[in-house]
Amino acid sequence: MQTIYAEHSRHDETYINPLPVRIWHWINALGFVLLILTGVQLRYVDLFNVMSFEAAVELHNWVGFTVIANYFIWLGYYLFSDRIKVYHPELDARKFFRTWFQQVRYYSYGIFKGEKSPHNVLPYDKFNPMQMVTYQLVMLVAVPVQFITGIMMWDVKRFEVWVEILGGLRVVNTIHVLMFILFVFFILVHAYMGALGKKPSTHFKEMFTGYEEQD
Amino acid sequence: MTIRSRMGGTRRDTRGVIRASAALLISLVIPGVLLLASPAEAGTASEPGVKSDIKCLKCHSKNRKKTLEDGEELSLHVAKAEYANSVHGEIGCTACHQAIANKKHPSRDPISSRRELSVALNQSCRSCHAENYQQYEGSIHARLVADGNHAAPVCTDCHSAHRVESMEVYQPVTGLPCKNCHENIFDAYAQSVHGGARVNGNVIRPSHIQAPICADCHQAHEVTAVAASDHLTSTCLDCHEEASLAHNEWLPNAGLHLDVVSCAACHAPLAERRVNLELYDNIAQLPVGQHESHAAFEKRLDAIDEANDGLDPVELWKLVRESSQAGQATDITLRGRMEVSSGVDAHRLAVKTSAVRNCDSCHQKGSDAFQNVTVSITRADGRSLRYEADAEILSSIVSVDSVSNFYAPGGTRIKLLDVLLVLSLIGGLAIPIGHITMGRIVKARKKEGEQ
Repeated sequence: MQTIYAEHSRHDETYINPLPVRIWHWINALGFVLLILTGVQLRYVDLFNVMSFEAAVELHNWVGFTVIANYFIWLGYYLFSDRIKVYHPELDARKFFRTWFQQVRYYSYGIFKGEKSPHNVLPYDKFNPMQMVTYQLVMLVAVPVQFITGIMMWDVKRFEVWVEILGGLRVVNTIHVLMFILFVFFILVHAYMGALGKKPSTHFKEMFTGYEEQD
Repeated sequence: MTIRSRMGGTRRDTRGVIRASAALLISLVIPGVLLLASPAEAGTASEPGVKSDIKCLKCHSKNRKKTLEDGEELSLHVAKAEYANSVHGEIGCTACHQAIANKKHPSRDPISSRRELSVALNQSCRSCHAENYQQYEGSIHARLVADGNHAAPVCTDCHSAHRVESMEVYQPVTGLPCKNCHENIFDAYAQSVHGGARVNGNVIRPSHIQAPICADCHQAHEVTAVAASDHLTSTCLDCHEEASLAHNEWLPNAGLHLDVVSCAACHAPLAERRVNLELYDNIAQLPVGQHESHAAFEKRLDAIDEANDGLDPVELWKLVRESSQAGQATDITLRGRMEVSSGVDAHRLAVKTSAVRNCDSCHQKGSDAFQNVTVSITRADGRSLRYEADAEILSSIVSVDSVSNFYAPGGTRIKLLDVLLVLSLIGGLAIPIGHITMGRIVKARKKEGEQ
């Protein structure tokens, strides 16, 4: 493990995000933005007129399936590599909440005082406790729920039994829209927090090169 | 009689008389025999085919009348030639008027009304036309008759009593009995792509088969209430076999659209549309109203909609909940369907190129299609009882459960979710802006402190 880490480290940079993760991330980011935009278009035809409802549905479906396929790049990579450790939850609740509050304190107070982040980014421990909880919920709950409800609405007749089990088309759509609302909030905050690195560009560069500058 | 007297007055020239009589006999009797043998085919018969009928017509060819109990005078006249030319001309009067054969006639038994007589005599059609009669018995027409509706047709209202004609007579546009009662609908049909094609020799396009007339879609005898089922969609698809595939090519969720949007809602582009929410029992797999009296339902509805101003979302939710509790082992839901507002509109079918194809016409807030909402129960006879409802029902969060199976993205979007989206947007922007502002304030204070 140390060997790999050493191989993927430069003198002042650490290799945090391997290529499959970076490919997945940017396809996912672009996909989410397109899904949000086409979702807004097809939900608010009366307010926006960038494209027709029909075109918005078509594009939404294509991008949706691309994002679903892309999800499996992420899932496959982490399931078949030891990097899955980054998603291992902290089972010691006391330790988790202590570090989580430290991180919250940092973002809401310490960062303004010029303090260092309490979490040190490492290849096998790259997420701070706030990121850990958020990404686990997003990737393992919100995104799959969005995929499933989206697929159901893509062809309601084909999945009518499942739609019925969930309580009907209106219920499925309401869940889908609630997740969409959550993602709108997530993307805005996520993009902002991405700029809270050593320099505003640090984390963005890291998502392109894979290497994070060390403090 | 005339022949006899002539013969009696010309004994002096017997040969001439015999010759003249033979010629007359040949010229009158032989064609008469031929005509009586096949009156319908010949189309010029003046005498019925059954001997006993001549006896009946002795009286009934006169303008006699019978006073009915309701004061109306019933004409007993039967036009001999019309009857002889009818398809029944050869079966004999007593084939239908069976009771007359079994008792003294004319009877002095009172007849309460013309309608009662027609309804009673309707039974006689069954003996020869059992299959058609059985179909008729299951029809909305027969159910209305049973309910005492005097406008509802019995067999003779469509086929007439004594000049029953061959089925082919009903094929031309002008010969339909349906329009006697459904004139407005027939007029709309006549203007439609189907009616127009029918009038103009069935030509819609060279490869097209015969354009439909009323009975082709609604059945001749097994006429069902339109609301009784969504069978009309499948009826359309019976002829327009390629329609499902054609819709699949461009329409997202084509199967769902075909289920919840009536064909006329798009193919009668000038029609006024509405959404009907039918109360349906998922466990019994029957529309509500078929196992519960509509009077009991109306009573419950009145109790819920006290102001009698149409159901609002909360009242609808209560109605669904209470309907579920009222019966035993029921699971009541609402089955939503977009349809046209009237039977007249349903028949204004236009050519394919004029059909509504613009998704925005439904899938946007404020669409006309979602401004008229009704909630209905379906009686056992297939007729719908509709109640007005607020259009807000389709966009209320309260309806997520009660109207769980009807949703059109954009068109029936839930208002509360719009509010949440705005809040999420505000929150998503407020956090960065607040954080940046906080950082600047802290930085400024730090600078001030250093100075």
